[in-house]
Amino acid sequence: MTLADTEFEVLHAVALRKRTDLDGLVRSTGLPREAIEAALERAAEAKLVLAARGSYFVAPEGDRALRAVYADRFATARADGGLAADYARFEAVNREVKAIVTDWQVRPVGGQKLPNDHSDPAYDDGVLDRLAQAHERAEQLLAGLARRVPRLGRYAERLTTALHRAEAGEGDWVCGVRCDSYHTVWFELHEDLLRMLDRQREE
Amino acid sequence: MNRWTVRIDGSIVPDPQKIGGKAASIARMTALGLRVPPAFVVTTEACRAFLSNREIPDDGWTEIESGIAWLEAETGRSFGGSSRPLLVAVRSGAAVSMPGMMDTVLDLGINGETEAALARETGDPAFAAQTRARFEELFARIVLRGSCEEVPHDPRHQLRRAVIAVFESSRSRRARAYRKHHGLTDDLPTAVTVQAMVFGNLDDRSGTGVLFTRNPLTGAPVPYGEFLSRAQGEDVVSGARTPASLDSLSELMPRAHEELLAAGRLLENVERDVQDVEFTIERDTLFLLQTRTAKRSADAAVRIAVDLARDGKIGKDEAISRLTAAQVRAVLRPRLSQATRAATRVLARGEPASPGVGAGAVVEDCDEAERRAAEGERVVLVRPTTSPEDVHGIIAAQAVITEVGGSTSHAAVVSRSLNKPCVVGCGPGTAAVLAGRNATVDGDGGEVLEGVVDLEEPRERDHPYLAELAAWAGNRRLLDILDARDSKS
Repeated sequence: MTLADTEFEVLHAVALRKRTDLDGLVRSTGLPREAIEAALERAAEAKLVLAARGSYFVAPEGDRALRAVYADRFATARADGGLAADYARFEAVNREVKAIVTDWQVRPVGGQKLPNDHSDPAYDDGVLDRLAQAHERAEQLLAGLARRVPRLGRYAERLTTALHRAEAGEGDWVCGVRCDSYHTVWFELHEDLLRMLDRQREE
Repeated sequence: MNRWTVRIDGSIVPDPQKIGGKAASIARMTALGLRVPPAFVVTTEACRAFLSNREIPDDGWTEIESGIAWLEAETGRSFGGSSRPLLVAVRSGAAVSMPGMMDTVLDLGINGETEAALARETGDPAFAAQTRARFEELFARIVLRGSCEEVPHDPRHQLRRAVIAVFESSRSRRARAYRKHHGLTDDLPTAVTVQAMVFGNLDDRSGTGVLFTRNPLTGAPVPYGEFLSRAQGEDVVSGARTPASLDSLSELMPRAHEELLAAGRLLENVERDVQDVEFTIERDTLFLLQTRTAKRSADAAVRIAVDLARDGKIGKDEAISRLTAAQVRAVLRPRLSQATRAATRVLARGEPASPGVGAGAVVEDCDEAERRAAEGERVVLVRPTTSPEDVHGIIAAQAVITEVGGSTSHAAVVSRSLNKPCVVGCGPGTAAVLAGRNATVDGDGGEVLEGVVDLEEPRERDHPYLAELAAWAGNRRLLDILDARDSKS
């Protein structure tokens, strides 16, 4: 089973997003809408993708196809250890990002964690500062990853957008689930790396 | 007459616009006669001058020198001196808090000579070496920003660089983006506070801690807090050592403890609200570092508002106006009663990750959860872990349970974001045990209970403090008052 580049990217993005509309795929892939629509149409014909009320899912056959393509496309990356080394660096930033996002949601008060009601700008600013610092490390990391797999460069743009909107006062862009928030995009990136490396996520 | 600097000597409380909010707070404490490590401020005026000329005015440096001389006189120490060296903390402070400002540089003034002097003075070379290492790490990261430049040897050069770095940070990308969004002027200068260091990690008669003037979790009018001996602030933050309660301080250093509680009472009376006071003790001497209005739980907020009004510290109208509708809703949230909890079998235990109680039929599959919820059924989702592809299942569920993961895991973050009760890390095999049963998830206690249990629904008129507030408001429903107020603003 082989897939053309565009088809692979679209199918891969559907798999990462699990259930997605066209807009989500445009944001994830950065490809032109028409190209995505055409790829989805071909994938649906080949029974790789299912569509229902404007949402797309990967069909079992599509998942098998993807796994085969990963093994083929990322064979060198898996074997040469470079990607694995980048992934180890990602893990370090990952722990930090998760802790920062958690501190955005809960804050310690008198030895207990209480929901952060966002009434203290100094606290929130401190958390955003830490997120921006972690983001600088993530950007360096992604620049390295994008040299191996250019497609991954897109994550840096999406994370930067989320960070800027959060810094501009739109708190949902830290970890809201209904937008491409920092946490949402970060997890998509994490899943992407795991699929490429054929690994399981460790909590 | 100083033009560019202000000494925090208790004679006046300068304008926060000029010295920044944090320095204004220590100026208020000093003016009340409380012991704060001596400090002076390089004002926002100096920052403004720097930003337009790209250098500090000459007479500005003369004033900073004389500020240092004043700190030396106040502490009996000498900056860069070969005996009893003075070290300082350098921090930024704008009138408005905003992201992107420079972090605090601690222990500035240390180099090879002053390290040796500190080692002689304390008889503790390890302490002196640790202090220097920490300063160099902070200075390299915060001031030199990871460039390969060397940390300056001369304490006065260190100070000059740090002051300029604070001024520059008011122009950082992050600070500017924030000001633009909030319609603040792009030229918002920051002040620099230069404060003598005190050492909570000097010996066993030293330490650091936090005092809440009342319990911030329950609101009980009893001092509450924690203390860590032989430690500095970041030791508490890092969580490497677990702090003891304030009672341990009363046994170890009763005089410092009594002085601390008295300071807390004074600050609460003056500020007319519960305070969260950071303090350090250096060889039995108490220093206050910062006081702020304390964060508190919703329950505590309600009780504190009533108690302060009963004590006559605030008016009855103000007691009501201090609360938010969200806090009152949180207090009235359906809860698990102690009696119900004791009478119900626990099916699983884990880490509480998102508060509240939710119940329903336990489902392992996200698509099934979504389908059954769409048919009007209440379901609880249990997963080994969750990832982005499970979000639709979390949205559909009343509550979430995972087998593996902690408070920063995907399930925890997403559940909190969606206000769904969540218990994480219940252990492998939990899903198999729970699937197909009815269960109640207690996101506050971290337990999964058998069946759909009845919850207690507190009512405003039965709640001792809410009822009193409602009476003060002429027996109107508190939530109506607060919602009306919030919709107006």
